[in-house]
Amino acid sequence: MSSAHASATGAPVKAVYKHLDSLLQGIHDLQAAGHRDFTVLSPIPRHEIEEALYRGEPSPVRWFTLLGGIFGGTMVFSLASLTHANWPMIIPGGKPLVSIPPFLVITFEGTILWASLMTLVGLLLNCGLPFTNPPKQMEDPRFTNDCFGIVFTGTGADTSKIVHILEHSGAVEVTHG
Amino acid sequence: MSADKLNYAQVNRDVMRPLFNPTAAWWGGIGLVSIGFVIGLYCLGMQLVWGLGVAGYHPPVFWGVYITTFVFWVGIGHAGTLISAILFLTRSRWRTGIYRAAEAMTIFAVMTAALFPGIHVGRMWQAYWLFPYPNQRQLWQNFKSPLMWDVFAVSTYFTVSTVFFLIGLVPDIAAVRDNTRGLTKKLYGAMSLGWRGTDRQWRHYMAAYGFFAALATPLVLSVHSVVSWDFAMADTPGWHSTLFPPYFVAGAIFSGCAMVITLMLPLTKLFKLEAYIHTWHFEHLAKLCMFTGGILTFAYGTEYFVAWYSDNMYEWGIFVDRVVGKYWWVFAMMVACNCVIPLLWWFKKVRTSFVGLFVVSIIINIGMWFERFNIIASSLAHSFDPGSWVYYTPNHIEIGILIFSFAWFFLWFLLFVKIMPSVAIAEVKETLRPPLRHDEEAAAK
Repeated sequence: MSSAHASATGAPVKAVYKHLDSLLQGIHDLQAAGHRDFTVLSPIPRHEIEEALYRGEPSPVRWFTLLGGIFGGTMVFSLASLTHANWPMIIPGGKPLVSIPPFLVITFEGTILWASLMTLVGLLLNCGLPFTNPPKQMEDPRFTNDCFGIVFTGTGADTSKIVHILEHSGAVEVTHG
Repeated sequence: MSADKLNYAQVNRDVMRPLFNPTAAWWGGIGLVSIGFVIGLYCLGMQLVWGLGVAGYHPPVFWGVYITTFVFWVGIGHAGTLISAILFLTRSRWRTGIYRAAEAMTIFAVMTAALFPGIHVGRMWQAYWLFPYPNQRQLWQNFKSPLMWDVFAVSTYFTVSTVFFLIGLVPDIAAVRDNTRGLTKKLYGAMSLGWRGTDRQWRHYMAAYGFFAALATPLVLSVHSVVSWDFAMADTPGWHSTLFPPYFVAGAIFSGCAMVITLMLPLTKLFKLEAYIHTWHFEHLAKLCMFTGGILTFAYGTEYFVAWYSDNMYEWGIFVDRVVGKYWWVFAMMVACNCVIPLLWWFKKVRTSFVGLFVVSIIINIGMWFERFNIIASSLAHSFDPGSWVYYTPNHIEIGILIFSFAWFFLWFLLFVKIMPSVAIAEVKETLRPPLRHDEEAAAK
């Protein structure tokens, strides 16, 4: 275990974990000490991490999907209806200009298309993608390979205490600055 | 290495190993594709210069090989999204190893299919007329037309499948980025959108991924239903049937899964991915083919029953003609390849052997192309008026363009396997037991 102790405040701290249970311990210990300003990095999604940090709070991406679907369906149905009403094709026998069954097909497609595109927008906005200038502590290739990590970016906290918490939780490497 | 001995780092190494270093087999594939391109581009060039007259259209058969090939490739494009979306929602673990390449296959198949409406109508440079905007007289498209529905259905399917595919790739591209240097690292860095795997990113990513899967699922069923309405909405004998949507969807999944087997068997062997893609993956795909193939065989029988029971001489006439008329050989190919030969997969020994899987999967795809030709060409060649009955067969230009479609499809797939991870790295890791200190301590005691 390598570490660099300091008593400075505000320096970012990076902890690298080999084990998921140690990482969860680190998250728990930081939260127990009253810290919230840290980012957890993982090569895979884990429900345990999300539960520890967000306590089951659903992602707002769902609202983008819903609004996209409503907008797409309404827009495409209106497009078909208004264009047919604008240049009427009168078909003998009482066939309606605005006919629900054929318009439902493209309304369905418009709903799915816009719901998907807005889900993409919601994903990018909420994830902060493109993530063009990440803190250098996050640029560790091990976090997309076989290690988990915590990057503490809180200001005003005693760095040496953070380092101590992270080392104690089972991090295999803790660096700061 | 067996799956139970895999760890996260090993997954990264194994999946990235085949990237960037072309092998002799890969160059061999490129060579074959190039031959197909030369033949196909010559034929396509001839048609673009001289017009549709050089194709073998024979009035009243104006829907021939090009529409057959369009429907064939749209059908192939069904399996990828079925595997990636529906099996994701049903939490089928066997999708993990194969879904990435199946999704890529879907995108490339729809890209291939999308060429054909343009090729079919001749003036490809005016393909944008298909899209919903008014002409100079402020006249819009007819949204009640099944052809217009098809434009919406295929373009929506392509867009949603592509977004789903690319979003699924982002964490894996980030893993490739962290394993490269220099300009390559910069390119993969841009493609990964700066993904770092933060808790915030994973949280929204997983929510969005679930929504994409839920949105793509009805599309799998709707696209080929809409394609089937291109035919079923017309009153041409042999086409005008409410059976068409489920019949087409079953056929699409049947051919799509067969194509996944055709592509992934050699891929698994050549890239040494046996730890990730096992025989039981292929067995599951074969079972899916057996199920949908059973539906298809039943649909073929139902079509005949409905035609006979309708007591409509035009309807019954075309169905009899398909069996004993000039197109008997097309019908025979269809039944042999789609109904009879796939029965071999009911024997476990056949559906778990490389040769048994590979050969039958190719035969299924040949049969599915003939099925579409059987539906499209024979109905038009044997419609209401006996005076208009003809015998249409494709000429060398149409065959050349058909070959071009395969070259185009395989070119994209060959490029994909060299620049993108063919197996989903993050999702494979998710299926492994995570590294736990608790386990190591227990093992040490």
